[in-house]
Amino acid sequence: MAERRIKGEKMKKIDLELAVGLFLIAGILCLGYLSVKLGKLEIMGERGYDIYGVFSNIGGLKVGSSVEIAGVNVGRVKSIVLDDFQARVVLNFRKDLSIQEDAIASIKTRGLIGEKYIEITPGGSEKAIKPGGRIRETQPAIDMEELISKFVFGKI
Amino acid sequence: MKPTCFTRGVLSLFLVGAITVPLLAADPMEEIKQTTDKILSIVTNPALKTPSKTVEREKLLHQAVYERFDWEEVARRALATHWAKRTAEEKREFVRLFSELLERTYLKKVEDYSGEKVLYEGETKEGDYATVKVKIITKKEKDIPVEYRLKKEENNWFIYDVSIEGVSLVNNYRTQFNSILLQSSYEELVKRLREKNEPK
Repeated sequence: MAERRIKGEKMKKIDLELAVGLFLIAGILCLGYLSVKLGKLEIMGERGYDIYGVFSNIGGLKVGSSVEIAGVNVGRVKSIVLDDFQARVVLNFRKDLSIQEDAIASIKTRGLIGEKYIEITPGGSEKAIKPGGRIRETQPAIDMEELISKFVFGKI
Repeated sequence: MKPTCFTRGVLSLFLVGAITVPLLAADPMEEIKQTTDKILSIVTNPALKTPSKTVEREKLLHQAVYERFDWEEVARRALATHWAKRTAEEKREFVRLFSELLERTYLKKVEDYSGEKVLYEGETKEGDYATVKVKIITKKEKDIPVEYRLKKEENNWFIYDVSIEGVSLVNNYRTQFNSILLQSSYEELVKRLREKNEPK
């Protein structure tokens, strides 16, 4: 009798441990999913295609910032490196979207002091930028402080 | 006979070389400099400052500016996605109206020239495209960065966009034209351009 009861308790204990283990694994998977989603990481390989642009000043643009056309999110900033004292920004676009050769990429600020993003104004050229190509027309971030100081201290 | 033929060949080769070398040597910064110097010499010329010479002065300025710009390219880029929908006739008219508008807005500023200095900072070339960076130093020692974007056509460089303080001229008009065209019609845009161009 006593032996059987111990065996039953052991089984129950294993059941409980199994449930806790499964719960933990599910929790870790959820956490992984969340961090991939929130961090906008791409682990399932590259989607879309890349185009790079060279800016004289990006004024606080970050990797992961959005790329927009007419306010619609069409891609994101994939990497930013300093190249010959200018910012070389790689943009990742959706596969189905082609950007004209004379499109202009400008760095804008959401609101007056909001986050930075890249706005693309589409051009009229029939030629599209090839994957890995360069968007030639770029507009740097406008330094508000500098502009204001020009107005404030401009007059003597 | 043979040696003379040979020397002739060599001579003609040299001649061709002599003709093509200066054509290839066209430098975007050099061309911007030439145009700027030309404009400054017109603006600062005291003989042209008298009221009776204003027409002649305007004409000279117009010529100096006009030959350095690729107006069709500027207009095409400004109309962007709407350019392809226009007929050849409409395109021609639009180029004319748009170039007039630009001239009207910017030549007035050039005529107000009062001893600002122009510094040539450098150029970058990439195939048929180039950018030339210039700094204008005002009398109050403030500097205004200006960037010219040029395109090569038949060994000459033509401006298709100008950025002042990082704000592109083409992009400015592109967003404006786009919003006008989406809200109303192309006819409305042409009407507005005409109204702007009418002498007051």
